[in-house]
Amino acid sequence: MKVHVKHWSAVAQWRWNTGNSEEDDEGDVCGICRVPFEGCCPSCKMPGDDCPLIWGECSHVFHMHCLLKWIGTAASKQQCPMDRRTWVTAERKVNSNDRS
Amino acid sequence: MATNAVRAQVGAKWQESFARLNRGEPGITGLMAFSEAWTLVTEFLRPRDITDPTPPKQYNMQQVRAAFDIINKCRRLPVMLEVFLDDMRKCQHLITREVEAHMTLYETTPDPDTIRKLVFRLVEWYNAWLPIRERVTPVLGPTIISAYTLAFQTHLFSVLPPTFAGGIKSLVAASLVHVASQPAGPPDMTLWAAFETLSLIDRYETLIASVGYEFIESYVLETCAGKWTEPMLATLRTWMVDRVVPWMILPYARGATNADEAKSMMQGVGSRFDFHLHKTLCDLRSREIFDIIVDFPESVGALQDLKECLQRVDQRAELVQALRRANKKRLLHPGADTKDILTQYVSTIKCLRIVDPPGVLLFKVADPIRRYLRDRPDTIRCIVASLVGDGESGDSLVDESEPILPLQQPEMENYSDPEWTPEPIDAGPDFRANKSSDVISTIVSIYDSKDLFVKELQVLLAQRLLVVKDGNFDRERRNIEILKIRFGEPALQVCEVMLRDMTDSRRIDQHVQSQNATIMHPTIISRHFWPALESSDIIMPGQFQALQERYAKEFSVFKPDKVLRWLPHLGRVHLELELDDRKIDADVPPLEAAFIELFSDKDVWTVDDLISRVGSVSRSAALKALATWVDMHVLKEDDENVFRLLSVAEEPGTRHVPKPAEELPSIVSVQQQQAEQMRVYWKFIEGMLTNLGQLGLDRIQTMLKFAPGYDQTIEQLGNFMEAARREGLVTVKDGMWKLGR
Repeated sequence: MKVHVKHWSAVAQWRWNTGNSEEDDEGDVCGICRVPFEGCCPSCKMPGDDCPLIWGECSHVFHMHCLLKWIGTAASKQQCPMDRRTWVTAERKVNSNDRS
Repeated sequence: MATNAVRAQVGAKWQESFARLNRGEPGITGLMAFSEAWTLVTEFLRPRDITDPTPPKQYNMQQVRAAFDIINKCRRLPVMLEVFLDDMRKCQHLITREVEAHMTLYETTPDPDTIRKLVFRLVEWYNAWLPIRERVTPVLGPTIISAYTLAFQTHLFSVLPPTFAGGIKSLVAASLVHVASQPAGPPDMTLWAAFETLSLIDRYETLIASVGYEFIESYVLETCAGKWTEPMLATLRTWMVDRVVPWMILPYARGATNADEAKSMMQGVGSRFDFHLHKTLCDLRSREIFDIIVDFPESVGALQDLKECLQRVDQRAELVQALRRANKKRLLHPGADTKDILTQYVSTIKCLRIVDPPGVLLFKVADPIRRYLRDRPDTIRCIVASLVGDGESGDSLVDESEPILPLQQPEMENYSDPEWTPEPIDAGPDFRANKSSDVISTIVSIYDSKDLFVKELQVLLAQRLLVVKDGNFDRERRNIEILKIRFGEPALQVCEVMLRDMTDSRRIDQHVQSQNATIMHPTIISRHFWPALESSDIIMPGQFQALQERYAKEFSVFKPDKVLRWLPHLGRVHLELELDDRKIDADVPPLEAAFIELFSDKDVWTVDDLISRVGSVSRSAALKALATWVDMHVLKEDDENVFRLLSVAEEPGTRHVPKPAEELPSIVSVQQQQAEQMRVYWKFIEGMLTNLGQLGLDRIQTMLKFAPGYDQTIEQLGNFMEAARREGLVTVKDGMWKLGR
């Protein structure tokens, strides 16, 4: 017998590729707003491309809007809120994000 | 022994009497004249037996009048009256006989005509014995007549048997029917005149009125029962004027000389009868109210009647009682569909708004329905289904023409409003006037918060979106827009995301197809924004896995920072099976597809092997999936739990497995989710009860509040504990919970 698939309407969830292990099913939350990455930051209504993530060289990931807001405050001293190293956006990720 | 004094006294008395009777006539001629007059008069007055065929003796009225004169002059009339009444008493057996004869006849054959004859006969007796047939004694006339009438009636009423009252009633009823059936005919006054003579009207007044009441009642029941389309009150009023009033004139306006007089005489009784008409109709409609509501809007006429009646008759409490009883008996029981209860509730709202615009009745009636609905698990689902206009069920609760309004919160009373009126007098203390709120607001307010609705709506929307195949979400979008107006935009943000996921999925799919065409068209959803979809660990075998991997790769090229996580148990697969002798086209869920894919490697599988190949799947789900193929005659269960592929078609076996109904995607319902959440806290509760022995519910709640993320209300906790008790984990006594053994 041969099985020919003619049409498959499947269902999938998307996840941010944060580099964490695939098994981590619960997903990570943004260190600033404590909302899951797949959710959206407090100032957004639509998740995903409308509320992207930002990856730092220091390996920490945040909602982009959350981080930019943080960086915009004087108290931040342009540092990553997690490890107090100067924030440097990981190039590759951001570029690919912009492209989408 | 008589002393002189006594003798003198008696002598004086005698002299005085003699002088009075003799009236100063010479000798004793006066006394003689008086004696003659007395004899004549007593003879004249003596009651005679009218059944006696001998003609009554004729008297010279001149003489009789003269004789009365003499007696009157001698002031002996009172004594004569005594004698007359005494004579009459001696003849009373004649009347008794008459009454008995008629009543015996009536009791054997109850014909009101017998009573009628009796009444007229009694009048004959009465007239025959009447002492003053011609005006002979103008002075004492009224006294004598009233004394006579009193004596006559006293005796008459003492001998009338109890059945006579019934007889009178049927006689009166017969007269009413007669008058009502031909109102134009000349009224029969004689009967009522006879009643009047015997003063039966006064004696049986309530009886006569009750005849009127019963007549009205039976007419109302006959004409109005079950007829709800038209208002009946106007017709009934005309009927009263045409049919009942002509009869009422007879007993109640007798002796009236003109119409105005008659009108004023009948005012009291007329309004009583009118009241009774309204009351009867009101009672009838109260009894029928449940069915009237069922028939709404065809029954608007009856509701208008009811409204008018209630203004006249204070039966509001009875109406509420009747409706509450009917609801309890016919609506609020496990046999009734939630949807039907809701429909009836909505109709009740609409109906009682007609009857009582301020809404007091509604408030009282609605309370038990609302409480009952709150306890039903599927109420929210039903409401939400009708909110989004679940097309299949046909009539939705919402009137299409009703404007879509935001949900209204109960408002504070605005006392500075010049139109302000106090609450109706029978409003309870917790009555809230929600004058303007629409039906949907009222229904949604069954629950304290609208979050539940939004959650349920999300579940429903998810189910609908995942079964839509043609990518046309116009209807869902329209519904969401409508609901946004009702519930407010922020509440439906989640649904908005779900809809956008659907359109995004199509865009992504178009892109992926343009890069690398595939037959796979997935829906990519944003988790956290969709209701919890039952997780499953099916591993799709063979070509399916290849398809998944290829698509996921293509997706990651398109969106480099995102990855796909498949939910393999959702969706549908359209397959073509190429067998040795035939081709089969099938549209099946993924698990079925996975199994049949496995059969393409090997023709015979045991259920356990199949299950282990697709990862974890429940045995019942697996058997159901296999049954689908058995049903299509692709597989056959040769031995128990061993399935064989039918490469060549075989005659269908005798064993027939019913085809499972196509199911909606299994999405965890709100309740299940709650239960799932609570399960986490069970460990806490268990620990508490182990350490502290027994605890009250509020104590448990207080302690659980320290647990992170605990957001259940005490009611939810109560439900959970109740569920735990059913499972035998805990026991409760006097409100204290402790661990069961």
